[in-house]
Amino acid sequence: MLAVEDLTLSIPPGEIFGLIGPNGAGKTTTIRMACGLLAPTLGRALIAGVDVAQEPERAQKHIGYLSDFFAVYEDLKVWEYLDFFAHAYKMPEADIPARITEVIAQVSLEVKRDAMIRGLSRGMKQRLGIARAIIHRPQVMLLDEPASGLDPKARLELRNLLRGLRDQGATILISSHILTELEGFCTSIGIMEKGRMVRSGSIEEVIAAAASARLVRLSWAGDSLSAVEAKLKSDPRVSEVNLAAGAGTFRFRGAEEELAPVLAGLVAANVPVTSFGEVKQTVEELYMKLSTHEVM
Amino acid sequence: MGRFWSTLFWSNPEFVRHRRAELRPVRAITVAAVVALLCVLLGLACWSYEQSMLESAQRGLENFATDAWKQRAESIQANFARNTWLIFYRWLVGLQGVALTFWTLFSCAQSVSGERDRKTWDFQRTTGLTAAEILIGKLLGEPVLVYFAVLCAAPITLIAGLAGRLSFGTVISVFIFLAVTSLFLGLGGMWLSTLLESRTRGVGLIGALALYGFTLGIFGMYASGLPGLAAISPLTGMIHLLGDRTDSELAGVRPLLFGHEVPWLLMTVLLCGSFSAWLALMLIRNLKRDYPEIRPLSRWQAIGCAAFLNFLIYALLSPGRLTDSLSGMTRPGWFPDDKSVALFAVAMNGLFLFLMGLATLTPQERLKVWRRKRATGESAVFADDGLPWPWLGISAVVAYALMVWGLLAWDHTLPLDMGTLQGAAIRLLLVLVFVTRDVLFLQWCMLTRLRQPIVKGVLFLCLYYAAAAVLTGLAAVSSQDAAHWMMALLTPVQVFDADVKGLAFPAATYAGLALQTGVIGGVLVAISSRLQRPMQAGAAA
Repeated sequence: MLAVEDLTLSIPPGEIFGLIGPNGAGKTTTIRMACGLLAPTLGRALIAGVDVAQEPERAQKHIGYLSDFFAVYEDLKVWEYLDFFAHAYKMPEADIPARITEVIAQVSLEVKRDAMIRGLSRGMKQRLGIARAIIHRPQVMLLDEPASGLDPKARLELRNLLRGLRDQGATILISSHILTELEGFCTSIGIMEKGRMVRSGSIEEVIAAAASARLVRLSWAGDSLSAVEAKLKSDPRVSEVNLAAGAGTFRFRGAEEELAPVLAGLVAANVPVTSFGEVKQTVEELYMKLSTHEVM
Repeated sequence: MGRFWSTLFWSNPEFVRHRRAELRPVRAITVAAVVALLCVLLGLACWSYEQSMLESAQRGLENFATDAWKQRAESIQANFARNTWLIFYRWLVGLQGVALTFWTLFSCAQSVSGERDRKTWDFQRTTGLTAAEILIGKLLGEPVLVYFAVLCAAPITLIAGLAGRLSFGTVISVFIFLAVTSLFLGLGGMWLSTLLESRTRGVGLIGALALYGFTLGIFGMYASGLPGLAAISPLTGMIHLLGDRTDSELAGVRPLLFGHEVPWLLMTVLLCGSFSAWLALMLIRNLKRDYPEIRPLSRWQAIGCAAFLNFLIYALLSPGRLTDSLSGMTRPGWFPDDKSVALFAVAMNGLFLFLMGLATLTPQERLKVWRRKRATGESAVFADDGLPWPWLGISAVVAYALMVWGLLAWDHTLPLDMGTLQGAAIRLLLVLVFVTRDVLFLQWCMLTRLRQPIVKGVLFLCLYYAAAAVLTGLAAVSSQDAAHWMMALLTPVQVFDADVKGLAFPAATYAGLALQTGVIGGVLVAISSRLQRPMQAGAAA
C-alpha cells in the first residue's frame, strides 16, 4: 500500500499549517515521517534545516510531537515526567527546574506538580502531554489530531496555547479532519487525498485556486431587477446570475480587485446597491468540494 | 567526558525514570527489609540444617561407635561454622542467580513491547535520546528492583563467602558471572521485545520463557562435541563456581578454545560478551526504527554474524572421543574425523543461511525503489535493499573459506583428506541452492497480498517438504533408485550422505542441483513481475 506519494511541503517559520484530509489520506504518515518515527522510502524531511533521517536526535531536539493519544508514564509524578523528557531532550541541566515550573503553569497543573500521574483526570493527563511536547521549547510543533477527545474548554485552551507558541516564533504543523478546528486558526492549509497533496498554500490562495469563479452576493433597493440583470449579463466574466426581487447572486471569473468596476457599473446604471460582496468559502466547503471522498 | 559517561549510565534519563518509579523510598526500604529478613531466615535454616547433620552424626556415633561415624562427627564439628557459612553462601548466590537472570530476562522482554502497549514508545523515540542511551537506560532500569535487592544482599553474600573460606577472587568471580549472564539475558529479552507489537506481548512472555529454558538447557552441551557452548547457560557457571567440585559432573570437564582448556568463567565472559555485542548491535540499529522497518542487521553485518558463528564451531569443537567425567569411560564423540566436522559445519550453515535470509528480506516498497534505481544504474546487485540471494552466496563462500581454515587448523588432531573439502564444497552448494530457493520464495510471498507473508511462506515450505517426503515414499514403492532420485530432486537430504567420497555424488544429486537452480530462476522472474506492478494507493497508518 502506498501511504504518501510525491509530497513536497515547505512551511515557513512562524506559520500554522493545517493538514486536512479524510481518514487514511496520509496525514499521520506525513507527520510521522517529519518526526523521524517513520523512514520515507524515497526523499527526505528537513526540520529547522536538519535532515531527520541523517541526524534524527539533532532534528528531534527541535520537534515537539503531539498525537491523538496522550499516553503518559502513570508511575511517575507530574514534575518527574517532565523532568524525564527535559533530560531526554538534552536541555541544559540548569534550565530544567525553572522550565518545568513554567510549563506546569502554562497548562494549569500547578496544584498537581507533586501528584502521581495515575491519579490525574483524563483532561489533566492531556494537558500534561501538551506540557511534555513543549518542555524543550521546540521550534517546530508537529501535532497529529491533537484535539481529538478533548472537551470544548480544553480545545480552546489548546488553541490559545498554540497561538502563544506561534507568537513566540514556533512553526506548527497540525493535522485534523475536524475542519472547524482549523478555521480561523491556521495561516495556511494543505489538503491530502489518497497519499497526495491535492492543494496547499494560504487559505485565501487555496480557495482562489479551487474556486472556478467567485460567488458574489448583492442587494439593492427599489425595483431595479431588469437593470441589474442587464448590466451583469453584459459582462462576459459573469455567469450563473440568480436574481430575485431586491437581492441575488452571480459568479464572477476574475480577481478580487476586478469586482470594483462591476459595482461601479451598477451604480453608474442607477442601481441603488445596498450591499455587494464576495461570499467567502469556509475551509469545510472548500474541502468538501475538493475531496472525492473515495478513501472515506 | 565525565558528563558523557554519566549521561550514558547513572544519569541516563531512562534509568533515572525507572529508579524514580520503582525505587520510591517506601518501596526501597520494604525491599531492603524483606531481603534482610530472607537472609536471616536462610541463615537460620542453614544453621539448622548443619546442626541436624551434626546431631545425626553424633547419634550414629552413639549407636554404632565406629571410626567412620567418629570421623564424620568430628569433621562436621570441626568445620561447623565454615560449612554453615558455605551452605548459606551457596543458597544466597543460587537464589540471587535465579532471581537476577529470570527477572532481568522477563522485565527486559516487556520493555519495548510494554511501551508500545502503553503508547509511550513514540514519544520516547522522538526525544534526543540515542538508541544506545535508550538501550542502556532500559537494560539498567527495567530490572532495577532486582538489582537493588541483589545489592542489598551483596554485603551479606560477600561475608558469607569469605566466612565459608572461599577466596575473595572466587566470590568476586561469582558476582562477575551473575552480572555477565543477566546482562546477556536482558539483551536477549529486549531484542525479543523489539520484535513484538503491543498486541503480541503474551507471545513475548512465552518467548522469554522459552529463551530461559533454552539457556538453562544448553547446559547439557558440556557433554557434547562443543562443550564450551554450555558456558552460555547460567547453570554451568553456578554449578562450577558453587558446587562441590569433587563430585560434580562438571568436575572433569573443561571447555576447549582451539583445543586448549580454559576456565568456565572465561568462556562465559567470552561467549556471553560476544553474543551480547551482536544483540547490542541489532538493538542499536533498530530501537528507534518503526516496527515494520526493523531489520536485525545490515547485510554485511549478517555475513559477519554468520562468519562469527562458523568461527565458533571450529574454536569450540572437541575432537575425538569424549570421556565421561564420573566413570572415566570413553564414548564416541561428535567429531571423530574431518568428515564429521565438515558435515556438521554444512548442516549448521544451512541453518545460518536460512536465518540470515529471513533477517535480510526486503520490504516491498524498498525492493521496488531498489529495482527502479537499479534500472537507472543508481544501485547495484549487492545493495542493502536488493534481493537477498547475492548475500547468501557471499556468506556461503565465507563459510567455505572458514571451513578450509578450520579443518586445516585441526589437521594435527583430525587429519584432513582433500576429498572432504571437495565433498563439502558440493554439499555447501546444495545447501546454498535450496536455502536460496526457499528464501526467494519467502521474498516473493512478501510481495503478495498475503497477511503475515513470512509465517505463511514458512508454512508453505513445510507443506512442500512434507509433500516431498510423501512423494519419496511413493517412489520407494516402485524402487529404491526412484526414491533416491525423487529425494535428490526435491530435497537437500543428499548433503547428509556420509558415504559419498569427494565429488562422486550420484547423478541425481547434480540433477537436483540443476532443477533447483532452474526453480530459483523461475522465482526470480515471478519476483520481477511482481515488482513491475504499480503500487496501490490506499489507507495509510
